[in-house]
Amino acid sequence: MIEFHLDPRSGVATYLQIVQQVKEALRLGTLDVGDQLPTVREAVADLAINPNTVAKAYRDLEREGLVVARQGRGTFVASTLAPASLRHHDELRVQLERWLAGAEAAGLDDESIRALISTTLRKKLARRVA
Amino acid sequence: MAWVTWRQHRSQLVAGLGLLVALAAAALGTDLPIRAAYHRDALSGCLPPSARSGCDIIVKHFQGEFASWAAAVRGLAVLPALAGLFVGAPLLARELEHGTHRFAWTQSVTRRRWLLSKTSLLAAATVAAASLASAIVMWWRSPFDTLEGRMGPSGFDIEGLVVPAYAFYALALGVLAGLLLRRTVAAMTLTLVVFAATRLVVLEFLRPRFLAPLHRTVLASDGGRQAGDWVLSDTLVDAGGRRITTGHEDLAVLHAQHAGIDPHTYLITLGWKRVISYQPGGRFWTFQLIEAGIFVTLAVAVIAVTLWCVRRNPT
Amino acid sequence: MSRRLDGGEEAQAPASPGPGGKSGASPLEARGLGKRFRREWGLRDCTLELPRGAIVGLAGANAAGKSTLLALATGLLTPTEGTISVLGRDPLRDPAVLAEVGFVAQGAPLYRSFTVADSIEFARRTNTRSDSSIAAELLPSLGSRTKVGDLSAGDRARLALALALGKRPQLLLLDEPFAGLDPLAGREFLQLLMDGVAETSATVVIASHVIADIERVCDHIVLLAGGGVRLQGNVEALLDSHRLLMGPRRPLGSIRGVREIVRERHSGRQLTLLVTTDGPIVDPSWRVDHVALEELLLAYMAPERLPTPQPPERVPLRWHG
Repeated sequence: MIEFHLDPRSGVATYLQIVQQVKEALRLGTLDVGDQLPTVREAVADLAINPNTVAKAYRDLEREGLVVARQGRGTFVASTLAPASLRHHDELRVQLERWLAGAEAAGLDDESIRALISTTLRKKLARRVA
Repeated sequence: MAWVTWRQHRSQLVAGLGLLVALAAAALGTDLPIRAAYHRDALSGCLPPSARSGCDIIVKHFQGEFASWAAAVRGLAVLPALAGLFVGAPLLARELEHGTHRFAWTQSVTRRRWLLSKTSLLAAATVAAASLASAIVMWWRSPFDTLEGRMGPSGFDIEGLVVPAYAFYALALGVLAGLLLRRTVAAMTLTLVVFAATRLVVLEFLRPRFLAPLHRTVLASDGGRQAGDWVLSDTLVDAGGRRITTGHEDLAVLHAQHAGIDPHTYLITLGWKRVISYQPGGRFWTFQLIEAGIFVTLAVAVIAVTLWCVRRNPT
Repeated sequence: MSRRLDGGEEAQAPASPGPGGKSGASPLEARGLGKRFRREWGLRDCTLELPRGAIVGLAGANAAGKSTLLALATGLLTPTEGTISVLGRDPLRDPAVLAEVGFVAQGAPLYRSFTVADSIEFARRTNTRSDSSIAAELLPSLGSRTKVGDLSAGDRARLALALALGKRPQLLLLDEPFAGLDPLAGREFLQLLMDGVAETSATVVIASHVIADIERVCDHIVLLAGGGVRLQGNVEALLDSHRLLMGPRRPLGSIRGVREIVRERHSGRQLTLLVTTDGPIVDPSWRVDHVALEELLLAYMAPERLPTPQPPERVPLRWHG
């Protein structure tokens, strides 16, 4: 069973954080098909957030086909992300390390790198949601 | 609401019960010597209207023997006020003072029902306790009542139906005072003042006139007062019916003493009479009913006002 | 309780109306509501309507009228002018509606001499519908024989909340529930509250002058300032319709995409505008950013509000580079 955590200062909406954490768990294999997600009540009693938020996150995940809500029984993982994505991890990591070396060589410090990555990621995310 | 009333007022109810027990114990304890003296002096033979010689002295002696106890018992007239002070006044004042009305008045029970239930239950308990206290006092006072009657305030105010009526009225006053003043101590003060004032007004101005007083004209000598009557006025009038001032009376007595005549005989020869206006002892229960009725009506009116007021801004 | 899966501001399944409640009526509605205390107006010309099933943050400074509004909603005060209706009913004329309303007043008032068990019994006896299971869950940590006066502020607050939730209310009103609570107690309170809301699907109003406390859970905001409503609306919609514009200091004309300037601040050569938008802002001379809720509310709380910018035909956009 996955445990959610909330970062109120991250600037990312709460329901998005939940979605991201579920997807991350799916990618890492922590969650598998058939596993049950925490019920709305469990998540809410633990995190002290609006039940709507959890419901919205689960709805989004259901729309993407990753989970399925079974009336009265809970929400369950329906499919993992393509295992192919796991395969690409190693390759992507190597690419990332190379890119980071390049950024360092260009004179960017840690903060600038992080800022660049997060702004670009946020713009991409916003464009996708919009 | 019964459980709620009990839980919130149980210390008051227990204290009231304790008071009753103490009263009963005191009454029982003090009663033995009184009954013993009563029989020893054969006072049953001195009951009015018999005028056995020497009865005067015997009765006076008996009364003197227990004068302090009788005086203490008169102090019980303050008991009904306690219901207003310690049960009625804190009822609303404490809730408003502590802010717990924001808890009590936002449940499913409406404010009016809450107040009506509580007041009714507490009133019932108060009336029951006061009736019991009244019965104890009546039982204790019976020798005195037979000798000197109970129409006078010293007997009337602590016996019969008026005691629970006073207590009911005091309770209602306390509740209203608590709502208006929102502070327990202030409410207690106001309750005491208004209660005392009401009692005083009824006693001085209304009770003497419940029924038209009777009059008796007697010779200007002692006597003419029947034990058991409540004498309202006892005035000396001349042959023409005009009132004689005490100054004038004193002059006449002085004159008689100078002349060596018995003052009483002298006043009779002057043609002076005494007019006594009184309420006979036989009217005791009628008067009790009337006065109790007055106070019960007042109590109900006060409660109605309180119920109407509680709907408005309490915060 | 699948209602929550529909949640948010989209179409909601109507909550089952409790006895006497009109289904479809807004849980709390006020029109021109005003309350005067002797010479001062605690609340003036307050008009609002809360959406059902929302968790509403009632924000505002200390004397803004939050407690007054809640007292009017529970019939503890009579309005001087205007109307207020709770679940479609007038709390003064129809006090039976309070059976559907849970209320925890400021300071979580309970009878101090009562034990925890007594308090639960009190709630049971004074309510037509009282589910003591929520309070019963607290018993192990509170102790049923503990006197309420001996409980910590956090425990007292949770007990009061549990009793209010036990009524299975359609509307839950909380007046400054976090005041006097340490962060852990506050978190525990919020957990109990959210759990209770997930279970009962109640509409909740949390009055607090500390925005951070309620930012975490609220999806609707009502901001009171100076006795009136300064801002109200869905949190997401408000955050979406406001932007922070930063740029070099210059005289202003109209800016495309900006509907109204809410607040203007300048320091040195930088000008910061908080604006409402009616379209995308593409002017490259401005850096556009989102606004956090707290900053948004603070801006609306400030007494100085700028006048609206001139309409585009009159004053062309000018700046000195």
